[in-house]
Amino acid sequence: MMPPPTQQRVQRNRGVSQWALAWRRLKTNKVAIVGLGVVGMFTVMAVFDRLVAIYPPQCLVGLSPSCPSPAYASNAPPSVAHPFGTDLAGYDVYSEIVYGTRAAFVIGLGASGIVMLIAISIGLVAGYFGGWIDNVLMRLTEVFLVIPFFLLLLVFLQVTIKLAPTATGGIWLVVFIIGAFSWPGAARIIRGEVLRVREFEFIAASRQIGASSFRILLRHLFPNVLHIVIVLATLQIANSILTEAAVSFLGFGAPNSNTWGQQMYTSAGFIEQAWWGTLFPAIFVTIMVMGFNLLGNGLRDALDPRLRE
Amino acid sequence: MYLIPVFFGITLLVFTIERLAGDPVQLYTALNPHIDEAQRQALRHFLGLDKPIYQQYLLWLSQIFTGNLGYSYTSGVVSTLIAQELWATLELQLIGLALSLAIAIPIGVLSAKRRYSLLDVSVTSSSLIGTSIPIFFLGVAFILIFGYNLHWFPSGGFQSTTPDRYPYGSLVLDQLWHLTLPAAVYTFALLAPIVLLVRSSMLEVLRQDYILAARASGLSERTVVYKHGLRNALIPIVTYVGLYFGGLLAGAPVTETVFNWPGVGRQFVTSTTQLDFPVIQAVVVIITLMTLVANLVTDVAYAYIDPRIRLE
Repeated sequence: MMPPPTQQRVQRNRGVSQWALAWRRLKTNKVAIVGLGVVGMFTVMAVFDRLVAIYPPQCLVGLSPSCPSPAYASNAPPSVAHPFGTDLAGYDVYSEIVYGTRAAFVIGLGASGIVMLIAISIGLVAGYFGGWIDNVLMRLTEVFLVIPFFLLLLVFLQVTIKLAPTATGGIWLVVFIIGAFSWPGAARIIRGEVLRVREFEFIAASRQIGASSFRILLRHLFPNVLHIVIVLATLQIANSILTEAAVSFLGFGAPNSNTWGQQMYTSAGFIEQAWWGTLFPAIFVTIMVMGFNLLGNGLRDALDPRLRE
Repeated sequence: MYLIPVFFGITLLVFTIERLAGDPVQLYTALNPHIDEAQRQALRHFLGLDKPIYQQYLLWLSQIFTGNLGYSYTSGVVSTLIAQELWATLELQLIGLALSLAIAIPIGVLSAKRRYSLLDVSVTSSSLIGTSIPIFFLGVAFILIFGYNLHWFPSGGFQSTTPDRYPYGSLVLDQLWHLTLPAAVYTFALLAPIVLLVRSSMLEVLRQDYILAARASGLSERTVVYKHGLRNALIPIVTYVGLYFGGLLAGAPVTETVFNWPGVGRQFVTSTTQLDFPVIQAVVVIITLMTLVANLVTDVAYAYIDPRIRLE
């Protein structure tokens, strides 16, 4: 029987985990830290939106009892009371942007989550089993890759809005459709990585000692492609936010949602008289997307061993 | 030749969406209060909607190949409608693509050559910001600055509506004048990702042994970088351009709507708002076809750039 001291020594000698190493590398990357800071700032904005905003949500400043002052003004230019001005209806642009942050997170995280769920499943299964399964799944991926996804997105949204105007499910419908069509690129990359990892001896070893395919996929292959999943998910968040903004800007967004794209859509018609209603939401979209892009690129440098010099 | 099943898969998908959205006869006649049931039946027969569903699909498919794209619910024959718009779209896209490649490749190469220099850092970070700007915002900002404020360029449209008073005398110049802003937006939008790609691809290539060999044999830096390096660095760029050409076309709705550019993208947005399915289907099918052709061209271009790759 082993004496307890051995165990203690083993624990003391244990090295730093791969994740801690990656974090060390990330910390030295200034650009990535800027990205992380931007994402963190937006997280605070989304969680404490009532504190960050000046007026309550959807409050007609000067008319509603919950925000009686200052006087009502439609399309008012930026001032002390309204740092980013007011829009046509009389909402405070700054406050509405703050309340839109949460929607941006829902879109980014939701769509990215759906994309990763599909991409991981297809990538793992196709890469691990190979043969005809791989063939079928990869042809399917190619179909989705060639599909003009943005066009079909518009059609799907319009059909649902026309056919079931009350049951559109708000921004979740947009999230779901973006997610359902954006996965092919990620699935291909994950499959490629699985093809590489499955040739390692520890996979053969665990198969030798009788591990089931399911166990190998989940416990051995998945953790070894996780670093790529994290990078892809971060970049997908940025892409999803951009896509939703474009969709809403064209007028195909969920009718009663309050996203930055919707805010731009309602204000773009009056851009000559009131540029602030379009400009400021656009700036926030850009900053948030940039934050996730910088973070994603930094994560790639920190996590991908082959890029290291 | 996986392209053929892919193409059929997409036509099937588009066809299914149309049929899920409702009865075409109902959509055709929605604006006509005087129509009676017998006329509806006649129309149903004329459109072939009384046949079994798989025959309808095959009929539709065979008509596509003969160039017959059907009738729009609102505005006449689809193929005539789209033919002119396709030109307007391609004109804009190809000019934007050519300009951005011409600007991005030298910048990317220079940035890779002087890695970690001030130039490189500023190019990289401004490109990262560039990839994050929504294209429609860029369009709106350009219109606001150069259109409304400075009055340098028209804020939209394809040509002036008053032919006798073309600002620069001729129709061609007038169209070019209208083209400038949207083309500039396309160029800017494409610039950032291509610069980043050229840079990383060039860094990869410059690290290779044969570059060292070329330098060691006394070739000038210029020859090493542009002749030996760039040629190999171009391969991922060809892939990017080939793969994203379809994405580019699909991105047309946004820019074309912002600039009121009479291309397929703007038409698609209008038709989708009206659920005008014959037009929607036609645009999706055409863009898919063009994407597939672009993929094919990419493969051929590979073999040309890199003789090690052989076409099967």
